[in-house]
Amino acid sequence: MHVCVAPRAQRRVLTVVILACSLATACAAPGCDVHWDRQTESSGAINVSWTLDPSPPLAGTPIVVRLTLRDRDHTPVTGARLRLEGLMSHPGMAPITAPVTERGNGEYEAPLQFTMAGDWVLIVTGELSGGGQIKKQIEINGVRQQ
Amino acid sequence: MNVLTWPVVGAFLRWRHARPALQIVLLIAAIAIVLHGLLGPQLAPRNLATVVTSIHWRGFLILAIVAVGNLFCTACPMVLARDMSRRIVHPALRWPRWLRGKWLGLALLVLVLFSYELFDLWSQPRATAWLVIGYFGLAIVIDSVFKGASFCKHLCPIGQFNFAASTMAPTELRIVERETCRTCRTSDCIKGRYRPAEAGHYVLEQRGCELGLFLPMKVGNLDCTMCLDCVHACPHDNIALAIRTPGAELLERGRRSGIGRLSQRADLAALAVVFTFAALVSAFAMTSPSYLVEQRLATLIGTDREWPVLAIVFLGGLLIAPALLLWVAGTITRLLAENPGTLRATVLAYAYALIPVGLGIWAAHYGFHLLTGALTIVPVAQSATVDAFGHALLGGPFWGWVGLQPGAVFPIQLGCVVLGASGSMAMVQAISQRDQPTRPMLASVPWLVVVLLLTTTALWILSQPMEMRAVRFLG
Repeated sequence: MHVCVAPRAQRRVLTVVILACSLATACAAPGCDVHWDRQTESSGAINVSWTLDPSPPLAGTPIVVRLTLRDRDHTPVTGARLRLEGLMSHPGMAPITAPVTERGNGEYEAPLQFTMAGDWVLIVTGELSGGGQIKKQIEINGVRQQ
Repeated sequence: MNVLTWPVVGAFLRWRHARPALQIVLLIAAIAIVLHGLLGPQLAPRNLATVVTSIHWRGFLILAIVAVGNLFCTACPMVLARDMSRRIVHPALRWPRWLRGKWLGLALLVLVLFSYELFDLWSQPRATAWLVIGYFGLAIVIDSVFKGASFCKHLCPIGQFNFAASTMAPTELRIVERETCRTCRTSDCIKGRYRPAEAGHYVLEQRGCELGLFLPMKVGNLDCTMCLDCVHACPHDNIALAIRTPGAELLERGRRSGIGRLSQRADLAALAVVFTFAALVSAFAMTSPSYLVEQRLATLIGTDREWPVLAIVFLGGLLIAPALLLWVAGTITRLLAENPGTLRATVLAYAYALIPVGLGIWAAHYGFHLLTGALTIVPVAQSATVDAFGHALLGGPFWGWVGLQPGAVFPIQLGCVVLGASGSMAMVQAISQRDQPTRPMLASVPWLVVVLLLTTTALWILSQPMEMRAVRFLG
């Protein structure tokens, strides 16, 4: 059975929905908390710094990702078993992975080759020698075409 | 050939609840997209919102149109949501006459495409979720105020895109026997079917076409959401989902229900042109040269903000370049033809011939994403299950599942563009034979050049290295 709503009530309902839609549209714009999560805390007190060689990187050219792990006291974190995965900002693209080798003194490196120009996210995951987990997300913006 | 008479498929489509069944499937998908977009990981390749909308939905939308028809509009979950809202709120107004036509919908389509590039929506799960919510909200609001399918017909940007594309679909809802319609006294296909209720009132039992398409005068798929309401409403079982020649409807000169004459609809011609050129702009935006162009434009106008630069690209690609090309082609055709009409009439006649090549470019673009990322939905769905339930109920996630290599897809992309271009050329020739019977070849030449120009531009774009930039501009 159909229920007819009085014009005034109808206007109220519509006003609420229009306001909700406006809010939704406004929040869809950048700057309204739509940036990627920076998951830098999953490793607890482990600080991960990184460099690329060469920098800036070029698509299709081999590069080396150097990671430096330090704990809260800036002591090198050794013996971690790390994995490195690269994802494009656009969904649907093939991810790239690279083995990570420890070089000593809390330094690790991984050979990598970006398959496409654009923005990439590197995800470093692994286990610490003490049994903890580490997860770090690194944004590499603007990989250029060779 | 009538699809509705086929076993299984035909029986399903004739089922009264076929459309709601399809809509519920997409509604569940939309809810999953919204929830994962808002609450899931904000990393685009790992979120259902961005993966499903950017990879699968767009790809399957085009694939469905080319293979079957306007299936997305058939299964549109927004219409299901507005149907539910109409159980509470009944629209009282008719869509204003001065807002009728495609101009508003066309503007929204351009706005959506512009926003997609400006805000890099493919990389923003939360923004994608809000966009879906906004779409639903807008559909509900508009159709709560205005009668019929006002949102679908006049506003929905996806709908306008689908209407243009589905002119190339291989199926069409049309009457079976004209004589049956001639003797019909109820016109349920457009008015709907009512049954008597208490106190002399009548209750709508089956609605007719909400988009104002009277089946005996309906031609083609423009404005048809393939909702099948007409099929269910017709008391004479006189409506077929017929197999037809794609694109042939664009050559019809007669007056058609709910549309009028194509030759008098500048808004529909503009939709065809924007549909085609937007395919190029959208594909170009994914390539490395587009960033060089943007950087040079930014330097030229002295800005470090993206929107003015992108606005110039869109203005040039969707307004200035098409206007210039069509003006030149139309002028030359008038010079070469023996029986020239006005420039406006010439341009309006030939503009629709661009749709096939436009569809070919869209298919090449969206098909690339679908084929190279088809399997990504598996690990993302597995991951979403873990997010939702805390257990890997679907196994995995198998992050290595992606799709075909881009190099393997390139020949398919070429095929799409060349097939589309062939369709456009055939249509140009057919329009010339229709409008300029004494000099069809000469009249066709400028428009064939336009199609060739679009085709070579598309092939050049597709051969460029891709560049998926999302975060920064001019950094």
